[in-house]
Amino acid sequence: MLVAWRYSKREKSLIQWFDPRAWIMFYLCFLFSTLAYWDVRYLLPFFVIALIVLFTSRVKWWEIRRAFIFIIGFVFFFTILTFLTGRGGTEIYKQEHLIRQLRASFSIFGWVPTLDITVERSFFAVSQFVRVFSIAIMTILIPYSLNPALYGITFKGLRLPDKIAYAMDLTMRFIPTFGRDFQLTMDAQRARGYELEKISGGLIAQVRKLGPLIVPVTIHAIIGSEDIIDAMDLRAFGVGPRTWLDQLTYHRRDRILVAIGVLIFVVSLVGGFVGLGKFWVPPELIKLAGG
Amino acid sequence: MDKKLTNVLVSLAVILVIFAVVMFALGTTKSLGPFNFSVDQATLVMRFVFVIIGLLIAFAVYYFTRENAAWEVGTREVVWMAIGAALYAVFSWLFNGTVFVVPSLSQVSLRPAIAIPMFFGYAFGPVVGFFSGAVGNMFGDALTGFGLSPQWSIGNGLIGFIAGMALLFKDKKKSMDTVLWVSGVLAVLTVLLFFFNRDVQNGFYFAASEPVSIFAGLTIVIGFVLVLVVRFAFASNENIAAAVTWGMLGNIVGILFASLSDIFINGFSLAAAVVGEFLPAAGPNLIFAAILVPLLVGAYAAVQRQSGR
Repeated sequence: MLVAWRYSKREKSLIQWFDPRAWIMFYLCFLFSTLAYWDVRYLLPFFVIALIVLFTSRVKWWEIRRAFIFIIGFVFFFTILTFLTGRGGTEIYKQEHLIRQLRASFSIFGWVPTLDITVERSFFAVSQFVRVFSIAIMTILIPYSLNPALYGITFKGLRLPDKIAYAMDLTMRFIPTFGRDFQLTMDAQRARGYELEKISGGLIAQVRKLGPLIVPVTIHAIIGSEDIIDAMDLRAFGVGPRTWLDQLTYHRRDRILVAIGVLIFVVSLVGGFVGLGKFWVPPELIKLAGG
Repeated sequence: MDKKLTNVLVSLAVILVIFAVVMFALGTTKSLGPFNFSVDQATLVMRFVFVIIGLLIAFAVYYFTRENAAWEVGTREVVWMAIGAALYAVFSWLFNGTVFVVPSLSQVSLRPAIAIPMFFGYAFGPVVGFFSGAVGNMFGDALTGFGLSPQWSIGNGLIGFIAGMALLFKDKKKSMDTVLWVSGVLAVLTVLLFFFNRDVQNGFYFAASEPVSIFAGLTIVIGFVLVLVVRFAFASNENIAAAVTWGMLGNIVGILFASLSDIFINGFSLAAAVVGEFLPAAGPNLIFAAILVPLLVGAYAAVQRQSGR
């Protein structure tokens, strides 16, 4: 049985007002433009766009709650980790200005835990948060606002060949199903006394422990595929050029959206080549830190 | 000349032209915005010859095996591609530290999901393997909230693709030995580079700003030894041995491709790309391949016996 993403038709939703092909193209432009920048001033407009899209999407909070809490936790975790270790920014900034150094009052085997709070690290953490969070918001909304019945024709409309478009369609449909299967398998194995969380044994023993989860889910999926293959063969899949049940037509708004996306992308690309949008720290802060 | 052959030739020519433009025109400049295309001018022609040789090899592989059933894409392959990609995406998402944090040892990232593209490539052919790796990685990253990184998707695709090339060779034993030699040489070369560049930092996000640990640097050797053990322990079961050895080559070439492309994309040095990115990613992958791929191949063989397909 297939499980679907929580899509539903939403009235007055900005995302759903556009053609899915146009939206995917805009999304790709948005994504690659965001990746060109580390400067928080250049990243803020992207963040604002992402927030506008989020608040006009009409997706209810309870629907995306779980996904959002997870993403926020994940982004926070990595941002804090980079902040604590200073890792990640070292290729981007060379010099650090210390604001305050926190030293622990104890030592562990001669090692005193020390945290250097520097202007660069703090701003790097902020930039990273804004950057990753904008991309995450835009990505999360796609499964909630793209009609599963239109997956195939959307990918076909993006000029992919029939078979690849259909494979992409199936992939998007299978992901939630396998997620559910994985959960079921894990519950079943737990009921039989399987303990993944118990950390014992060497590396090889630990890897082997994953077998009872990965193997049943994979093999079950392959066995289940026979029914789908039969159904597709019976309908003569791949014999001639494919026709799709739904048709998509571009409206003027879709062309405008794609044009805006391409414009943002080109501007970012040119900006990146000229050297704009590199990591930036307010000079006042550096002065404040005594730099 | 048939249409398919012309298509392949045209796409290879386009790739060559892109390389020529990048190397001869952009290679003279130091850096271009976020990209760094600079090519050492003294060895420029030499490097270009290597690009040509690489493309010729790709063409030769296609030309001499084009009648082979491994390249066919029918209904079964379309469904398997989708299943492989979806499984890879779901497993990557689950094991990227979301639902489970697989304990990671001494700055080594553990990605058990890597067994999926290897297994799908080996069992269902290079095209299915490529799609599972590339598209699965794309969706997996999107689910985790990482965004996209095309070069890593292609690298993951290559893992499945090369694992599937096992189907192109009639003499499995002989091809396996060649694969073992090639992978062994590549593993030794990268480890040598590690010992000459001990101060390179681990390039992954979650590792602290420390140089790559000895353990992380040597996991590729541990993985290689494990694969050797599997290869000879299952000498009677050719399927398991071949799946693991070809999966290993795929893993080495695919991850090497992705890390080396960071030289152009992020302006890394050769040592930073190989020691900082390749070793901490490819080494642990090999350990997973050596243990999980045999389990999958064995289970699938049982299914085939039962269903008779």
